Amino acid sequence: MAEKVEIPVQKWSGRVREVTLGATREEGGTRARTVTLGGETTLPFLHFEGKLSHPPRIAIEIQDKKPEAWSPLLLKAWEGAIDDPAAWAKKAEERGADLILLRLSLDDAQGEENTPEKVKSTVRKVLSATGLPLLVFGPGQVDKDNELLVAVAEEAAGERVVLGVCEDKNYRTIVAAALAHGHLVDSRTPMDVNLAKQLIILIHDMGLPLDRLLMDPSTGALGYGIEYGYSVMERLRLAALQGDTMTQQPILVTPGEEAWRAKEAKVGEGVPEPWGDWEERAIMWETMTTTALIEAGADVVVMRHPESVRLVKEAIDKLWMKGG
Amino acid sequence: MEIVGERIHIISPRVKNAIAKREKGYVQGLALRQAKAGAHALELNIGPQKKAGPEVMGWVVDTIQEVVDLPLSLDTTNVAAMETGLKRAKKRAIVNSASAAPERLETMPPLAAKYNAKLIALCMGKNILPTAEERINVALEVLMPRILEVGLSMEDVYFDPLILTVSGMQEYALQAVETVRFLKQVSDPPPKTMVGLSNVSNGVPHEGRSLINCTYLVMLMAAGLDAAIADPLDKRLWEFMRIVEERDDSTPVGRLLLRLYDAIASMEELSPDDVDMSDPEQVAIYKTVQILENKVIYADSYLRV
Repeated sequence: MAEKVEIPVQKWSGRVREVTLGATREEGGTRARTVTLGGETTLPFLHFEGKLSHPPRIAIEIQDKKPEAWSPLLLKAWEGAIDDPAAWAKKAEERGADLILLRLSLDDAQGEENTPEKVKSTVRKVLSATGLPLLVFGPGQVDKDNELLVAVAEEAAGERVVLGVCEDKNYRTIVAAALAHGHLVDSRTPMDVNLAKQLIILIHDMGLPLDRLLMDPSTGALGYGIEYGYSVMERLRLAALQGDTMTQQPILVTPGEEAWRAKEAKVGEGVPEPWGDWEERAIMWETMTTTALIEAGADVVVMRHPESVRLVKEAIDKLWMKGG
Repeated sequence: MEIVGERIHIISPRVKNAIAKREKGYVQGLALRQAKAGAHALELNIGPQKKAGPEVMGWVVDTIQEVVDLPLSLDTTNVAAMETGLKRAKKRAIVNSASAAPERLETMPPLAAKYNAKLIALCMGKNILPTAEERINVALEVLMPRILEVGLSMEDVYFDPLILTVSGMQEYALQAVETVRFLKQVSDPPPKTMVGLSNVSNGVPHEGRSLINCTYLVMLMAAGLDAAIADPLDKRLWEFMRIVEERDDSTPVGRLLLRLYDAIASMEELSPDDVDMSDPEQVAIYKTVQILENKVIYADSYLRV
């Protein structure tokens, strides 16, 4: 006999802010389309409880030169495109990316120092090769990040690119560049709810509107601290839904980078036989890391392998179908 | 409300240096300033002092007693140092502290009993206990039996619910308030309670600490707190205490603090309707309450949001 079960419904007072990446020609850019994130009034995929305006989106990470340190599995997956960021961006779009994340290197392919001029040319080529909105992250050294990202901001003026990453020790120059040229920024903090909120406040204090800010609370891969990252994201999202205004930003995390650092994904030899096929395991590592973080509230996940992207997209599609 | 002056504390680099160099003038100056500000007792936290514990404690106690005659709260985990301090103290001292951790449970209560001192009993074992319920259990099942066993009188014991910082362990702030509330109901007459108040703002930028400490004190007083180790040089501390104790509703801030006190006392929450949002001082207090109640995530700049 079928029992009628009442599903408890939580009424939240807060809502995640909507943030739009990219700008079309009418809006002052050259993107074929824009991507809007956020807007949710409940936890991930709880369609019965609140409004979910936009599904989680996948950014595929490309680099401005062949990333020699990457797993051979990734190099193989992007074979033929990996030496040319424009070709790589195009292929990433074909393989299902909603967004392209271009990571800049310290040196160019010839081993010479990367310069603002070289970066401008790369960004221009990538913008021409794909119609998707772009995120551009610096190489991760304060002085170089500032130098290169300012050049990116100038070259891509009006395109509503996400510039990253802003950290508490280095955000002013990047935010100023975003302010001057109509871009967005990624606010990254090391897995701590208090610091995540504080950096949003500091960046907003510089005059950047909150609809141009993504919150990046950092994360770990499956087996490597994902539970800490998950808890921090969950806590931030609950705060956002409870009306804590400076936590109401869409969340970006980088599970691809984290998962491909894990031994289970990185290493094909000298591991126990029951671990099974290397490629299958590596793809699953990235897929599982990413889907868990989507359940924790991620609005953008940055990924690396096209097959993991396909699997995660499939999962999102199924979860997004209301009542399905 | 009794205030135990916290300023002679080994974590302060200046105090540490003064103790190491046996600089009488600096230590006595700190003692005098706190006494003049109205402290009812003085905390002497000398740290573990593994090498010269008894000598250091003896020197600090003697140095301070040359200029003030307040009771002293002796804070060290070094048992020999504690005993020296208790021998030299002219007024009834406070042993800070026993806990349910085996070593401190074993050594500190009998020392307090032997020297007719008071005792602070921390509601924790080797580790921090998250919930009020666990803290009460440790007080009832471990600390109280031991206190009675060594012959201490319950009125000479202060239970300390353990205050943790709102800047990293925000969810515990209300647990401590609830622990005080429960402790005040477990017996008649109820046991006394004391907190290390400034712990709540550890890691908070200096300029933000006073408001958090003082607002939290009002909430703890509402739950029945009897004493606090706190900064007697903070004028706001005395002002907030006075407002609550005299029920001074002659100012808008006074009325807000009394509403906060009454709300916590009756296990309710301060409502936004109680706050005049056009008054920055009231808004700051309200935001601080929201932080302490874990309604809004703490950030160093929380007052600017």
